[in-house]
Amino acid sequence: MKKVICLAAALAVAAAALTGCSRSVKPGEVAGFDEGEQYLSIWVHSIEDTPEGQSYRKSVEAFNEKFNGTYFADIEFIPRNDSGGGYSDKVNASVLSGGLPDVLTVDGPNIAAYAANGIIQPLAELSEEERGIYLDSILEQGTFNDKLYALGAMESSVGLYYNKAILREAGIEVPKAGQPWSFSEFLEILEKLKPTMDGKNGYPLDMTFPVGEASIYYFAPFIWSNGGELVSDDGLTVDGYFNSDTNVETMKYFRDLVDKKYMSSVPISNLFESGRAAFKFDGAWEVNTIYTSYPDIELGVAPYIVGDDWNGERYTPTGSWAFAASSGSKNIEGATELVKWMSGVESGLDLYRQTKSLPSTYEAYNYITDFTDDENYKALYEQLRDFGHPRPKTPAYPQLSSSFQQSLENIAISGMGAAEQLKKSTERINAKLERYTRT
Amino acid sequence: MMKKNRANSIMGMAFFGPALVLLTVFLFIPMILTVIYSFTDYFALSPATTHFVGLENFGKIFKDELFMQSFGNTVKFVLIIVPLQCLGALGLALLINKVTYCKKYFKVAFFVPVVMSLAVVSTLWMQIYSPEGILNTVLTNMGFDPQPFIHSTDQALPSIAIMSAWQGMGYQMIIFLGGLQAINPALYEAAEMDHASAWKKFKDITLPELKPLCVFVFITVTIGAFRMIVQPMVMTGGGPSNSTYTIVYDIYETGTVNWEIGLASAMAVVFVIFVVILTIIQNVLTKDKEDKHENKKK
Repeated sequence: MKKVICLAAALAVAAAALTGCSRSVKPGEVAGFDEGEQYLSIWVHSIEDTPEGQSYRKSVEAFNEKFNGTYFADIEFIPRNDSGGGYSDKVNASVLSGGLPDVLTVDGPNIAAYAANGIIQPLAELSEEERGIYLDSILEQGTFNDKLYALGAMESSVGLYYNKAILREAGIEVPKAGQPWSFSEFLEILEKLKPTMDGKNGYPLDMTFPVGEASIYYFAPFIWSNGGELVSDDGLTVDGYFNSDTNVETMKYFRDLVDKKYMSSVPISNLFESGRAAFKFDGAWEVNTIYTSYPDIELGVAPYIVGDDWNGERYTPTGSWAFAASSGSKNIEGATELVKWMSGVESGLDLYRQTKSLPSTYEAYNYITDFTDDENYKALYEQLRDFGHPRPKTPAYPQLSSSFQQSLENIAISGMGAAEQLKKSTERINAKLERYTRT
Repeated sequence: MMKKNRANSIMGMAFFGPALVLLTVFLFIPMILTVIYSFTDYFALSPATTHFVGLENFGKIFKDELFMQSFGNTVKFVLIIVPLQCLGALGLALLINKVTYCKKYFKVAFFVPVVMSLAVVSTLWMQIYSPEGILNTVLTNMGFDPQPFIHSTDQALPSIAIMSAWQGMGYQMIIFLGGLQAINPALYEAAEMDHASAWKKFKDITLPELKPLCVFVFITVTIGAFRMIVQPMVMTGGGPSNSTYTIVYDIYETGTVNWEIGLASAMAVVFVIFVVILTIIQNVLTKDKEDKHENKKK
């Protein structure tokens, strides 16, 4: 009997420790929350004591000032570790225990999964004017099943960087924005550069297919611009999309790059930065890296290359963390107001100043001299504005992302059969989609 | 008498209580939950829709090519690292035991990697193994071709195993060293009187005396090796082509990245059962030999 009591007591203590508390906050309990105001809680995925965290704090304070007497937003910082845990663990635990805040941050590619599982709810209706301030890619990223769920303050972009000196020497002209090189044209250019780059103990192209999010982020545009898709519009079918013949062709293009030794099959660090590669695909941060750490490199941004039959549709990399209203929020009007504020022009501008992440609104770019005066930043912005395409929207995104990387690595580096690898990946993703498709 | 017993037991509980609560919350409850979840389709993003699915998860696991591959990788890793680390540690211990000068320095030098964080060691070795890193520079200067190491499907796992053995063997070395110093010197003196060779002394005195320690080291290294996750996570992300993807890594990815807690729990259960069976086998095999040894002595 005693044993049972002991065990029960231990379980009770554990349960109390695990469930936490989700009580409602009353005016006066938190500094700044006054009688008559509606309380809005917000979670962000960063550490308070970082430039990014400080920027969020500042935006929330500005919101509280602007809406003094109506709303009060209370921000909580939940750090996210490198492998993606921490923040998402807390969100998952709160889904179970019911302690979700009114507003939370969600990584762009996860919006579909959060929406499909009812963790976030659609935002209140935005007027045309309100929607109009955001880049198309941000609205597209936040939309799932025709409903707008999330708006971000940050955007991102990947550039096809080139070494001006090397291309000048080889007599290669870089096309203007909107008229990118096609796959075949790019192959010819790489072939032309090969002897020069061999002489420099380098490669025409500094490119790798790393494990993690980078591979799909950088290289899915090859799929889209070549007329392929990775998943159906509703995000629930991959068979016939992921493993389409077009995608098999695109994958073979990657293998061509490796087979013809236009790129190294093993990652060599700082190839491009040390002047031993003519081209490199990398995030927008690379511009700052080159400017500050490798001033000898003459940097240019070429339009992202496209499939031979590209007809002008959107295809370039985009996406970042966004704000969404949780399904636990009973005040969707207030939550939407907070989401709009946190992703608005002011917040985006401040975030750019603190963290150099690209803003999400047209207006913000006008205030930042980098984007009006510097040709490289300007090119990245214009590419994002005119051609930005969010990553695939499917609730099985994590599996899609890792399958894409694995297929790419297996096909391009290890030389396995393209059709067979894509088919295998399709089966794996399908298995993860089962829970959404079974009726 | 009764009273004293009672007071004793209250005191006992007071000391034992905090540990019991912590163990219960962080060990026993999660263990029980893992077993329960392994029979459900618990999905982290949608816990409300959890159903009991019987053995479905276990069926899925054994049909899952990736899980089987990670299982194979883990076994391969264990087969490489266990002899390497155990023999390496024994070798180092024997050497240090012989050294008469700078003994402390060698002890510390070989033990330092054990104290270092695995993530740090992994990052360091990524540089050593990199295509234009130290190791390849040395190889090229000696006239060999540069090797891809962690970027090749064939070499990645052995490369990680060598690094892990280097990192971990200092700990077992200290254990062996303790054992060596506890051997009665009279045994060696007696052997010398009989003009026994160095090899004979090692084979007939050192090894038998170290036997119980060997068993302990063997089992702890094996179990430690099965739990390998940090090194591939930092160095290769499980690649290239999943050649360094391990069971624990798969469990982690399934549970936290793909949110499938049910499936991940089932994997964990299978993994634990496997390791327990293996440990029992190891125990039986080594115990048997020990008994025979004891009998011989008699």
